[in-house]
Amino acid sequence: MGDNAILTVLLMAPLVAMLGTLVIPAQHARAIKVLNAVVALVTLVVALVVWARYDTAVGGWQMTFDVPWVEGLGIHYSVGVDGIGVVLVLLNAIVFLTGVLSMWTLTLRVKEYFALMALLVCGVFGVFISRDLFVFFFLYEVAVLPMYPLIAIWGSTRKEYSAMKLTLYLMVGSALLFPGLIALFVKAGGTSWDLDTLAAALADKPGFQVFVYPFIYVGFGILAGMWPFHGWSPTGHVAAPTAVSMLHAGVLMKLGAFGILRVAIGVLPAGASFWAPTFAVLATIGIVYGAFVALKQTDFKYVIGFSSVSHMGIVLLGLNTLGRDGMSGAVFQMFAHGVMTALFFSAVGFIYEQTHDRDIRNFGGLSKQVPIAAAFFLVASLCGMGVPGFASFWAELLVFVAAFGRWPILGIFAIAALVITALYALRVIGTALLGPSNPRWDGLKDASPWAIVPRATLILVLVLFGFFPNWFLDVVHASLGSP
Amino acid sequence: MTHTHLVLGALLAPLLTFALALIVFRKRHLVAAALVIGAGLVTLVSTLWLLLDHGTAPELITARWFSIGGIDIAFGALLDGRTLLMGAIVGVITFAVLVYSLGYMKDDPAKGRFFASLALFEWAMLSFAYAPNLLQGFIFWELVGLASFLLIGFWYHKPSAVAAAKKAFIMTRIGDVGMFIGLIMLFAATGTLDIVTLTDRFAAPGLPAGLSPGAVELIAGLLFLGVMGKSAQFPLHTWLPDAMEGPTPVSALLHSATMVAAGVFLFARFHEVFLDAPTVMGAALVIGTITALIASTMAVVQSDLKKILAYSSISQLGFMIVGLAAGSLFAGLFHLTTHAIFKALLFLSAGAFIHHFGTNDVVAIGRGGGRKRIVATIGLVTGGLALAGVPILSGFWSKEAILSALHEPGYRVFLIAAYIAAFLTAYYTFRMIFLVVLPRADSGAVIVEPMHPHHGADHGEPRSMAGPILVLAALAAVAGLPWIGDALGDLIGKGDQVHHASLVEMILPIGIVFAGIGLAWLDFGAKRAPQRGILAWLPSAQRLFENGWYIDSLYQKTVVALTDTVARALHFTETRGFDGAGDGVAAGVMATGRGAARTHTGRLPIFIGTAVVVVAAFSLFLALG
Repeated sequence: MGDNAILTVLLMAPLVAMLGTLVIPAQHARAIKVLNAVVALVTLVVALVVWARYDTAVGGWQMTFDVPWVEGLGIHYSVGVDGIGVVLVLLNAIVFLTGVLSMWTLTLRVKEYFALMALLVCGVFGVFISRDLFVFFFLYEVAVLPMYPLIAIWGSTRKEYSAMKLTLYLMVGSALLFPGLIALFVKAGGTSWDLDTLAAALADKPGFQVFVYPFIYVGFGILAGMWPFHGWSPTGHVAAPTAVSMLHAGVLMKLGAFGILRVAIGVLPAGASFWAPTFAVLATIGIVYGAFVALKQTDFKYVIGFSSVSHMGIVLLGLNTLGRDGMSGAVFQMFAHGVMTALFFSAVGFIYEQTHDRDIRNFGGLSKQVPIAAAFFLVASLCGMGVPGFASFWAELLVFVAAFGRWPILGIFAIAALVITALYALRVIGTALLGPSNPRWDGLKDASPWAIVPRATLILVLVLFGFFPNWFLDVVHASLGSP
Repeated sequence: MTHTHLVLGALLAPLLTFALALIVFRKRHLVAAALVIGAGLVTLVSTLWLLLDHGTAPELITARWFSIGGIDIAFGALLDGRTLLMGAIVGVITFAVLVYSLGYMKDDPAKGRFFASLALFEWAMLSFAYAPNLLQGFIFWELVGLASFLLIGFWYHKPSAVAAAKKAFIMTRIGDVGMFIGLIMLFAATGTLDIVTLTDRFAAPGLPAGLSPGAVELIAGLLFLGVMGKSAQFPLHTWLPDAMEGPTPVSALLHSATMVAAGVFLFARFHEVFLDAPTVMGAALVIGTITALIASTMAVVQSDLKKILAYSSISQLGFMIVGLAAGSLFAGLFHLTTHAIFKALLFLSAGAFIHHFGTNDVVAIGRGGGRKRIVATIGLVTGGLALAGVPILSGFWSKEAILSALHEPGYRVFLIAAYIAAFLTAYYTFRMIFLVVLPRADSGAVIVEPMHPHHGADHGEPRSMAGPILVLAALAAVAGLPWIGDALGDLIGKGDQVHHASLVEMILPIGIVFAGIGLAWLDFGAKRAPQRGILAWLPSAQRLFENGWYIDSLYQKTVVALTDTVARALHFTETRGFDGAGDGVAAGVMATGRGAARTHTGRLPIFIGTAVVVVAAFSLFLALG
């Protein structure tokens, strides 16, 4: 297997899982799950191989592969990874595998569920490795659309409403994006969708860049949970089934941030530097606002949903600093938040599966009743609070340092929000995990070894990068250049 | 054994046993306890060895770890006077507490988790103390806070323990945010977080190049916010009394060598930076003095043994800050050292009483026969004498160092305030001692919390508890003797700050201590003493002190209420504003659609009518246009 085929393998693996799932008769639910788990494991191995093969000393695009697709429109199937792509591909593979494992107990329409999830994962991989803007957008839509059925069929708590809301918001985003992307293509000469070519062709058109930048930033930003267009995200988080929440907050929201990084900032640097202060303000509002609203929520998943708004605000703030430290911090935060939210949702899902209740006031002393499951939630919360020793600490540190350097006031607000973050996290921990236990849940089963494996994997990742941040940053820096 | 080995042993042993005890042996309590105590022993030996084997120049043992802004930041240990001293304090006190816990927590069903958390605490504190740069310092500073959270809330089935743990974390985090911003600004201004570099640059006369006096004041002020949070300085002190909800061995550790010591140590570690910020130093002096004073008034009226000690910790921390802020690194660190020993001793002795009598109430303990617990009484009295500052016990010497640092002309007010605080300290300490040792059933003292003894047989303390108490008692007695003070001054390179007071100079401080003891004797000790305290004559003052000057209720009414209001308002914005607007748009679109659909009735007359009207209007428009 040559270096240039490896990314295509990564992209095709989930498709194989989807097709295989469609072929296996529905009554063989176990076989479907095993197939998906095996494929997910394969993608994880491939993602690790990509990580290992990526030469940080050289940097830039690697493992590239390019064939024309629609010649007339200049569309190429062109893939490759840079340092950022490498880590996000790994993130997606981790969340895919742990997502499959945490849906092991699913019984409702197993076949359709796994087929759609595999399609979604395929789209996400595609976005992370695309070098062609058209393919990028195409796969972006492939990743986003399965969300509707996944939530509407397997969700809970006003699932049709949430699914529709999510779809409409994301459609608004796409409606902004699509004309924006076409404008990019046309203005750049209308011959190629290649990201680097577009950037080069538009370099001398700063006026156009400033005009089109907000379309693309907001279009992607909606998916990244950017304030004030975040409304779909908490509702969607809440309604989605466990693994979909994991994928949704874990990787899907990162597609938005990645789009901003790769297309908006990557292709339109002049537009980015014009709009950065505005969008940095919005990002900071999101950080503070999400934390405060999370403080008033009573549903586990709503708390996590608004914490995501707050944490994605940190990502967006980091991106808007447009510097190496801030942007690598943002990428780190994408990764850390992805793993952490996956852990959050998988811990909550584990409890919800048994209780069908998510109101934190109805719980108490879960640490006594289900110590291991509670420990997972606790670790995710600590990571969310930015406690050192977990990956997100470094991410936040980098972003805050960079943001403080550019806009001290915004930096102070973002850092001060750490107190509110601790407040809402400790409120959930204090109410549901600690305190006197609710006898109603005395019979809860704690995590079995099989349930521990995926979650322990996530914790391991968080702690590993929490102690050795350079393993991560060396790869990311390879594509962000020297300081 | 090279220093590298010793550092690795001291730092890795607690970390390793933390992980093992928590993940593998959580349910096998004795294995967990044995592992953690073993690690504590390794750390004890290593830190003491390093302390005794120190060279003259600071020694760095580091590895590359992380880079930011193109600057590498290392992980490892900086060995110089200050870190070696702090490391040794951590090693000694933690080991004493670990051994003591073996007896104290014998019957606790979650002993494994307890020892694991203690190991985490020790590891975090030691890595903080040895930190060669402020980033590592901050990381472990936060982990010290995390470990405190876990230990204060150890008995998490008690809502009060959970609330106390949350409060401790949040209040210290408020200070941490300030410190974090200070760290970032310091890094931005100097391009380094390396402690040796920073210390050298700031120690040189004048300000470091490129830094304005305002910037230095700002950075120092922000760092001091962190000190205030961790070391429970007014007005961020209210978490510490609540923190005694944790098991008593935790209080012993938290109030002496770890959590609260971290703040003072940070102040001492960056003393050179603070010395370049005279305004902040002045503010610190004021804050330390206020803290020392008001906390001692609160200690005077408590009936809960642990609360008395908790308020006394706050007050003594105020003294340390005063010493450092008055410019004497030696005085602050000396008092930190002696206080760590005698306060750990006091808490361990208190724990022995509480363990036996099942109450925290001093009156109940006294009437229940407190003085028959020989070891605990020895510990309480020795620790009390040291805390009150009775010569020749350790607290006397270190407090004397602080007071003599205030013998500058400009510090007159602070000196007087410090004398008042010292008087109150002697008074409340001996109130506590007399109530326990000289109880009278017919006195005016009131029992708030009656005892619940859970030990049928009247056996003495288990050896694991008695041993640490007696060892610490011996240390508390001698740790302040002048030759130890001299050695400490030389160790931190501030031999010139060591002040050997003449007997004449000592008359006033000794007199004040004995005045406090005398008043306590009249109130609580003497044969017919009313045992109600002089404040019974001043009910309003009594109420004020009992309620901690109403500072907590003020916070409830202001900061907490404000946060809640903002959260409520934003929650309203979210549900009614954003969601409402989104739903409204959707509803509008639906209504428009329905309206448009209603015109498509399929009925011919309406269809033709509409067509005619449109054609007519269009023709009219053309004709007129």
